[in-house]
Amino acid sequence: MIKVRGLSKEFGTLHNGSSGVLALSNIDFEVRDNEFLTVIGPSGCGKTTLLRIIAGLIPYDQGEVAIDGRPVTGPGPERAVVFQNFALMPWADILTNVTFGLEIRGTPKAECRATAKELIKLVGLEGFEQRLPKELSGGMQQRVGLARALAVNPQILLMDEPFGSLDEQTRRLLQEELLNLWERERKTVVFITHSMDEAVMLGDRVMLMTPRPGKVKEMIDIPLNRPRSREVEKSGAFLEVKEYLWQNLRAMQVSES
Amino acid sequence: MKSSVGRDWALRLLVFSAAVGLWELFVRYSQNFLLPSFAEISSALFRLFLDGRFWKALYISNQALLLGYAASVVVGIPLGLLAGRFRWMDRLLNPYVGVLLAMPVAPLIPIVIIALGLGLSSRVFIVVLFAFIFITVNTRAGVRNVEASLIEMARSFGASESQIWRRIVIPGALPAIFAGMRIGLGRSITGMVMVELLLVASGLGRLLLEFSGRMQSDLVFATVLAVIIEAIALLTAMQAIERRIAGWAPDSSIG
Repeated sequence: MIKVRGLSKEFGTLHNGSSGVLALSNIDFEVRDNEFLTVIGPSGCGKTTLLRIIAGLIPYDQGEVAIDGRPVTGPGPERAVVFQNFALMPWADILTNVTFGLEIRGTPKAECRATAKELIKLVGLEGFEQRLPKELSGGMQQRVGLARALAVNPQILLMDEPFGSLDEQTRRLLQEELLNLWERERKTVVFITHSMDEAVMLGDRVMLMTPRPGKVKEMIDIPLNRPRSREVEKSGAFLEVKEYLWQNLRAMQVSES
Repeated sequence: MKSSVGRDWALRLLVFSAAVGLWELFVRYSQNFLLPSFAEISSALFRLFLDGRFWKALYISNQALLLGYAASVVVGIPLGLLAGRFRWMDRLLNPYVGVLLAMPVAPLIPIVIIALGLGLSSRVFIVVLFAFIFITVNTRAGVRNVEASLIEMARSFGASESQIWRRIVIPGALPAIFAGMRIGLGRSITGMVMVELLLVASGLGRLLLEFSGRMQSDLVFATVLAVIIEAIALLTAMQAIERRIAGWAPDSSIG
């Protein structure tokens, strides 16, 4: 379980005391084990900052972030991150990219390869092991990113707008695959997005955030059954939650511009 | 791919022939009996290759080149790595880098010789002065250009600083390091000839001075041509290595 209490984060605080920008202010929420939480909010609401704090990549100023009761002080083996820009090593082939996390954690070479091959197969990239990232489409590159994260068998998957830079069709395809995968593996997922469809389609709950400073506006339960397919997009509940999100986001957007 | 390589060579040959043609025309119409024609230069080059003194001179010059270039690489790359990764190091080095890039090295040669004498060490030092800063600057730029998200990715898996260096920073900077090494090699060769011409008369520089003293301009040109041939051979070899090791990246050199 991820537990966040009273979390605040300020950027650009200088040593002379002058204050910077408050990115996150007094954030409170929990993510239950095996829950799929989506986080949505306008740009500037600190959702990516929040994810990076949970990942242990940046420090926070105030409050508490804990995983199963242990405070987060840095990256940990129970967490893995999927990045928006894929973050693949352009000089390394797909197999090497997927084994990266395992190798960093000291897994024996043979085991790395075996696990990586399995995951490359799982994300549908069999036969591409020796290719370089630049030879793959964006969608395929993010499959590699996903395989790399899953390879270390994390309990928590932190996804930072993973499909944000992909075209619509690819994104929808990957959403469906992620849903299937999650049905099987039931990881705890924190999924940052700026797409309302994505937020409702994938999540058990949506966390709605407001900008400047980033705050949690509301936690919204998504009353859709699992396993889900594209069909849910036509259901009243889907449209209702989406409409609710839009009303809120629209209000924030209007007050911004 | 094959056809574009063929076309490249055809174009290169065309440019070369045009340059030679222009040279021949210039020599013919200038009426300057000291200017050798291309044919004369070619035959001089041939005579040079048969002359033991040339090979001796080449050997002597290359001692300074080899040692100086090796030292430039050994000094230049680590400095560039540190400046690229650590802000404080960059701030510390920045003014000196500017000075070293802008400073004309040739006027310093007498000072170096006063300090180090007329021996090999002076020549090596001059070669280092000519070359290392370009290796440093390129290496620094290469490290800087390693995507921050890759380092963050590595950290997210719990990579230590040394793992980040080995797995991300150095491989990511490698294409730029190679580019710097190529530019550094060119500068080393310039430095090698320059110091021999200006003060420490030895090696190819001494040969050049002798030839020009005797007004054997065909041999002067031939010697310069021989240096160019060596440079091209070394750079080509280097590029081949580069393509093997860092072929994933587009060329990105500074200098």
